[in-house]
Amino acid sequence: MLFELNKIILAYPKPQGRVMVFKELDLTIDEKEFVAIVGPSGCGKSTLLRIIGGLILPTAGRVLYNGVPQHGVNSECAMVFQSFALFPWFTVRENVELALEAMGVNGRGRRTRAESYIDRVGLGGSEDAYPRELSGGMKQRAGLARALAVEPKVLLMDEPFSALDALTTIALREEVLRIWEDKEFSVQTVIMVTHIIEEAVELADRVVVLSSRPGRIVDDLRIDLPRPRDKRQQPFIEYVDRIFSKLA
Amino acid sequence: MPTIEPLPHAMSSQIIGLLEALHDRGGRDDIYKLAKELNLELGDLMAAIRGGELFEFATTPGGDVELTDLGKKLLRARTPGKKKLFLAQMKKVPLFIQLQQLLEQAPGKRLDKERVLEELTKWLPDEDTAQQFETAINWARYAELFGYDQDTGDCYLPEE
Repeated sequence: MLFELNKIILAYPKPQGRVMVFKELDLTIDEKEFVAIVGPSGCGKSTLLRIIGGLILPTAGRVLYNGVPQHGVNSECAMVFQSFALFPWFTVRENVELALEAMGVNGRGRRTRAESYIDRVGLGGSEDAYPRELSGGMKQRAGLARALAVEPKVLLMDEPFSALDALTTIALREEVLRIWEDKEFSVQTVIMVTHIIEEAVELADRVVVLSSRPGRIVDDLRIDLPRPRDKRQQPFIEYVDRIFSKLA
Repeated sequence: MPTIEPLPHAMSSQIIGLLEALHDRGGRDDIYKLAKELNLELGDLMAAIRGGELFEFATTPGGDVELTDLGKKLLRARTPGKKKLFLAQMKKVPLFIQLQQLLEQAPGKRLDKERVLEELTKWLPDEDTAQQFETAINWARYAELFGYDQDTGDCYLPEE
């Protein structure tokens, strides 16, 4: 078991009382899984992703990574954000290098490694471009290159396609699947938050459905369909319907 | 000089996305149905289709859009292979042939953006030149035909 979340409680103080985001939430994730977390808006799915990555510490409960309690940021995870989270005053290469610098990778090796990952996500030729010059798809490729360059075992993706147009989304979904399946990349496990049910069923091995706040798991569904998955086929539609019925 | 046609305003990832969408639908689909299913403005979809046609990755028989063998080959290729195919097809497009020649002849194989915009205006007086430039740079960067350095404002050919 890669991640084990035990009785996670997350509560925020508010003037009118406490907001309970999670109340004793349990979740396990195995190595090499592609897990999608879905749920209604505001249910805490992005927060859950940050708890898994150690970016947010729960109020109570614990997160085990490979059986060891996690007390802070998990260095074997990297995150891809909906809004790309690129520094606008840095070029693509500098954005990727910055992540490596934070890891202590210095000298020529840093530049070579940054360029290698920029190339591998199809952004070779745009190393010196600033984020404002790039299309949404290219920005997210830069976000992917930055995440992959730190050679994480786990890729955490928070609504990675929701700021992109439909055609770019199709191209990038394929890219993410390729990265997950490609042994040349370090990524073994992908955990993705999305509000698009079809996207979850199209990509994931497993879909975890969260309820409205306080978030609890109302379904945990294994998607037993071969890839590439055809959205128009009845089994696909049945999975989507089942998830929608849990959310309704 | 061959006739220079305007570039459809579609990004390289949108053209690839269109080809992936067609592949998911058995290689061919009705354009109107595809726009509806993908929740796309017809104009945006048409731009990607025209990009696909320009590169011979797709054709449009009778209101449908269909993957060509080259389009299928592109989808089977890994990222470097995709870029190579894009590059090979771009080198057949008159606008890029002309731009590449200009860059070859320019000192240091670099040309100021303003000069490129002037040429684009000359070739395509009725088009939105800034948009043509944006599309050309997006495709050229993807295929690594030429680059653009925003700091210096130069388009440049990559070093051999």
